[in-house]
Amino acid sequence: MSDFQEQEIVSAEHDHLVSAIIKLDKTQHITEPTRNEPTNLSSEFNLIKSSNKLDLSKVVSALKDSAHHTTITKKLKSLDQGQVLPKPLEKPQAERIKRSTGYDATKEKVAKWDPVVARNRTVDFVSFPLHSVSKREHPTKVILSNLKSKSPLEKELDEIDPPAEVEEESKEEQSFPMTYEEMLEHRKEMAKLRAQQSYKAAKAKRQSKIKSKKYHRILKKERLKQQLKEFEELQEKNPEEALKKLEELEKARALERHTLRHKNTGKWAKNKLVRAKYDKEVRQQLAEQLAVSRGLTHKTQHSESTDDEADENEMLPDMTLAQDPLNPWMMKGLNKSNVDTDFDFGYKKFIKEKVLKHTEDSDSEENDETVCDLSSLKKKNYMLGSVRNHVHEQSSHSKIEHESKLSSPLGISKKKPMEKNNAKVTFMKQDRNIKKPIATSKWTVDIIKPNDSTESGEIKVAEVFDTFETKVAKQVEIKINKLRKNIKRLERSSKTPKVVKKKGGKGKNISNMESLMFKNKNPKPIIDEELIETNLKAPEDIPEMTKTYTKIIKYPSALAAHSNNNSNIDPSQFIEVKPKYLNTAIPSCENILDELDDDEQIVPKIDIEEVFEEDDVVASFRQEKQNEIDNDIPKEIDLQLPGWGSWGGIGVKAPKRKRNRFISKNIPKMPRRDENKGDIIINELKLPKLKAHKVSELPFPFTKVSDFEASVRAPLGNTFIPEIAHKKLIRPNVITKAGTIIEPMDEEQLLIKRNQSFKNEKILKLLSKQ
Amino acid sequence: MKVKSEEIKKLRYFEKTKEKNSKLIKNTDEVEEYHVKLKPHSKWTKKKLEIKDSKPQKVIVKKKNSGKSPISLKNLEKHSRGDGISGKGVKHPLYAAKLQKKELKYRFAQNQAARADILLTENAGYLEVDEDHRTTCITQKEIVKNVDITAATKTFNLNLDFGPYRAKYSKNGRHLLLGSKKGHLAAFDWVTKKLHCEINVMESIHDVSWLHVETMIAAAQKEWLYIYDNTGMELHCMKKMDKILRMEFLPYHFLLAAVNEYGFMSWLDISIGEIAGHYNNHLGRTSVMTHNPYNATICLGNSQGVVSMWSPTVKKPLAKILCHKTPLSAIAVDQKGTYMATTGVDKSLKIWDIRNMDGPLQHYRLRSSAVDLDFSQKDMLAVGLGEVVEIYSDTCTKTADKPYLRHKMAKSICNFKFCPYEDVLGIGNSGGFTSILVPGSGEPNFDAYESNPYQNKAQRKEAEVKALLEKIPADLIALDPFEVVKVDVPTLQDKLEAKTELPHVRRKKIDVKAKRKNKGLTNIARKKIIKDKARKDQIMESIKTRATSNETKDGQKPSKSFGVLDRFVSKPKPNK
Repeated sequence: MSDFQEQEIVSAEHDHLVSAIIKLDKTQHITEPTRNEPTNLSSEFNLIKSSNKLDLSKVVSALKDSAHHTTITKKLKSLDQGQVLPKPLEKPQAERIKRSTGYDATKEKVAKWDPVVARNRTVDFVSFPLHSVSKREHPTKVILSNLKSKSPLEKELDEIDPPAEVEEESKEEQSFPMTYEEMLEHRKEMAKLRAQQSYKAAKAKRQSKIKSKKYHRILKKERLKQQLKEFEELQEKNPEEALKKLEELEKARALERHTLRHKNTGKWAKNKLVRAKYDKEVRQQLAEQLAVSRGLTHKTQHSESTDDEADENEMLPDMTLAQDPLNPWMMKGLNKSNVDTDFDFGYKKFIKEKVLKHTEDSDSEENDETVCDLSSLKKKNYMLGSVRNHVHEQSSHSKIEHESKLSSPLGISKKKPMEKNNAKVTFMKQDRNIKKPIATSKWTVDIIKPNDSTESGEIKVAEVFDTFETKVAKQVEIKINKLRKNIKRLERSSKTPKVVKKKGGKGKNISNMESLMFKNKNPKPIIDEELIETNLKAPEDIPEMTKTYTKIIKYPSALAAHSNNNSNIDPSQFIEVKPKYLNTAIPSCENILDELDDDEQIVPKIDIEEVFEEDDVVASFRQEKQNEIDNDIPKEIDLQLPGWGSWGGIGVKAPKRKRNRFISKNIPKMPRRDENKGDIIINELKLPKLKAHKVSELPFPFTKVSDFEASVRAPLGNTFIPEIAHKKLIRPNVITKAGTIIEPMDEEQLLIKRNQSFKNEKILKLLSKQ
Repeated sequence: MKVKSEEIKKLRYFEKTKEKNSKLIKNTDEVEEYHVKLKPHSKWTKKKLEIKDSKPQKVIVKKKNSGKSPISLKNLEKHSRGDGISGKGVKHPLYAAKLQKKELKYRFAQNQAARADILLTENAGYLEVDEDHRTTCITQKEIVKNVDITAATKTFNLNLDFGPYRAKYSKNGRHLLLGSKKGHLAAFDWVTKKLHCEINVMESIHDVSWLHVETMIAAAQKEWLYIYDNTGMELHCMKKMDKILRMEFLPYHFLLAAVNEYGFMSWLDISIGEIAGHYNNHLGRTSVMTHNPYNATICLGNSQGVVSMWSPTVKKPLAKILCHKTPLSAIAVDQKGTYMATTGVDKSLKIWDIRNMDGPLQHYRLRSSAVDLDFSQKDMLAVGLGEVVEIYSDTCTKTADKPYLRHKMAKSICNFKFCPYEDVLGIGNSGGFTSILVPGSGEPNFDAYESNPYQNKAQRKEAEVKALLEKIPADLIALDPFEVVKVDVPTLQDKLEAKTELPHVRRKKIDVKAKRKNKGLTNIARKKIIKDKARKDQIMESIKTRATSNETKDGQKPSKSFGVLDRFVSKPKPNK
């Protein structure tokens, strides 16, 4: 009894306690009314409020799996499944999709006009109205004249061979804007459009929902691969296009540089920065990020040369680390790890870790010292600039654990997190580009290298993924290298990339030094090095280039003429035209007796004129020519003036330095037209009045002077060319018939053959772009 | 609607009988039926139908009349305007297409022009002689005897008393202007011999010239230049132009170029009455002047034997050629401006290539110095030697042997001109004016738009207006008449350079190479020929000299031998 009582008391107490506990929660709970006994009356107080909706699934469950009701259950189940419609997309997204599909459709619609427009643009003239067939009714006379009764012969012929009956065209008036077929087509089109829209929406939704980073990474990689593949194909097919694409890539790079994305300035990066001081992992992430930016901003041209170096550098630390006898941690770790990792896999590892963590948590105080020791050791390692393998790292830690286990009962405080696979490709780039990103900051960032599948003999799903990814990465890398080689081949110029690279390296070093000199007040992981502005077109080179350009432009004619000058001949030296003695008549007043027969060659006689021929005429003329030539040679202009403290006046020689400075250099001599022409002077004067009439700027479509000159070479006037040609040449581009209504083009134009057959691809492309 | 077959057979289709028709109609009960063949009137359908019809016949048609007759390449070449646009200079596809179309039009124009040559039906005259005869011997009398009456009337002689006459034809060759040293000025239509005016200006007349139309005359009198109309009315007295020796009228520029006693040159723009250029040429007094029809420069010959070319805008000669070592007596430039003939007091006649500024191409020696020279439209060269005129048919390209024609007069020649579009040479002489026939000298086909010998008043007015509209400004006179169509490359380069210095401007790439003219041999080819010739000559000469030296060497040895005493002869030191 007492037992019972006790029990009662306990239960009462318990109830009391429960109620007290419930009272702690001050919200009022309205308990769901439940029916505990069957009634026929349904009073308003007994109604179940919450859901009077029939839950089909419950009904189905009620049916159980009796063979009797299978069909009903199936039906109900299907109803249950199909009923819920997907949530519609958000309005802006839906609108966007609608717009994009609409754009595509309109584009297609408009594109069909391209040939018409292109043809109208290129054609000599367009005459409006476009319908050449006049819709005006012919006068009855004309119509009647066109009607002819059949001749008896024709009738006879018809009797023998009756002509095929012409089908009478049904003259139904089109009261509807569209025919039935058109309507159907229209509907179909609309349906297609809608389907497309919905499909796209669904796809977008599905894709946007995927949260997996891996998926996105793979997607990104695939895209990259695809792009590379396309690029390679393009390179084979159309190197020009490929170059263009490359330029685009370059542009993207420039944009990247410009926007400074992937730098340490973003919100994410700033957040990380706060944590970076304490968290190595975060530091690594930041470094990765910067590596990405570097990879993007790095110019592609000379990357190959850096590749080799980077490879060497990459190899070295590994070697030293792996076989450094002075570093017992590493040596042992390596061996141990191999053993450990052999056995630490799967759930076993998980449990082990968990246990370790538990012990660590419970005994945190004792752990402190070892942690300190470990951290200091680690730091040492970092200072050595170790680039460690993920496995090494892990193994070392595990080894540490073991040791700590041996020496002290406690394990290690922190576990190395799994390395992130996604950074692999970027890591490689980073490795190549920067060897020691630590140099500029206080912090040490050690790069954790991705897993080497060969070293760890474990077969993990994750690692299989890893190996696959590394493979992919390697392939990508190889391809990139290939690409770069090609690019290099294309852009091989006078500048040797080595020199340029060196320059870049120097700049980097200097910057590093500078950054070391200044004290950072709020430390940030500025691992970013100076941009290596080393292209083939180094800034120093550019002005030179322009100079040469201007030079070339300045004296093309001179150069051409000089080449001609090589054959330096004075025709007057060679061709002395022998005088032909003509048997001319002699004026009667002079000497009648001297007349001779026509046949006889006249023996030259010395004449008084010839005797007194002025020889100095020639000499003076040649002198004149020489003077002319001398005058034509541009002279040096002495611009120097005596400065402070120097003597001025006649006969004072300026110091050499000044002379060199102020005498404007003469223009190279232009060859004269009359250079080899004997006693002929041609003054190549610049006629200023004539110059005013000349064209001094090439109008738009021309890029060659010769082309422009060719385009204006022929006259247009009817006094020069036949009238027909003249009319043809001066015909206006657009001819409008006076007094007619010019209606806009309709779709009939699309059906005209000459419009359809317009096939100048270049123009079509150009016009469709606009 | 059925007719018995017999009936049809009997009936010929053209035997229309009313009865039958009526019968037919009756047979068809109430409805009237006509078998109507609809003639298509649409442009397109018609064409299509025609093509269908003519398809089997097409081949035959082509054989019969295979379109237009082919154009000879020579003709095409004649009307060529040079090469068109080539290469990828124009990158914009739309404009490239448009330019291509334009190019096609130019080709069409060229073809049309070549085709239109068929319309040039007239042939140039010529003299035909037996093998053992020469055209030189043929006198005017013989020619006149053998030509038709209208041509015969073109030889005439005017005996005028007012001293030596200068004669000039108008541009269309219809009108003749005479001006004498003693002041006699006469203008007349020399074909119909209708006198426009005849006056005595009571002053010495040094030169006369027609202006752009035959209603205006310019006479360079003792003091000033006067302009008269065709009735002899004095229109202007240009006191800005004084003591003029020679005048030339440049028809396309409307410029009257003149040189005066003191060596002042002046160009009078007769369309606006202003002096376009006026400066001293510093050559001294010279009365040897002509103009180059190709580029409208004035050629002056001076007493130093130098021919200089002048433009109104530049006060220096554009070019100078030393032609003779003696004073020049006459210059003539051919119609195309390719050749120039000069004679000096040294009795020589030289032909120069003045388009390329080269020469002399030919060098002739005459037996007396020439008074005057003139080229005809067909490149015949008339040379006046005192009282004789000799006409050479082809002096420039070939070396002429003998004159084509020779005409002797009893009067000393003052000047002569070939009449345009006529086979006539008009000679102004001391005793008046003589017109002689020179078969084949004139251009047989005239372009009525250009100059029409049969022009009426209305046409003349029309032509005057058109010519004024197409007047070329005096600024454009330069050695190369196509200078205007060339791009001013130095300025272009300057502009480009200036643009390159601007900060955010993309550099334009422009190829500044000028258009190459493909005419004749290239400079290099020509020079090669010259070189080859020179080398040949040199080789020949060296061979000759070697032969002679051998001879002399052979000859020298025995001459120098003194037998035993040879040892005393001083030996020349061997040259190193």
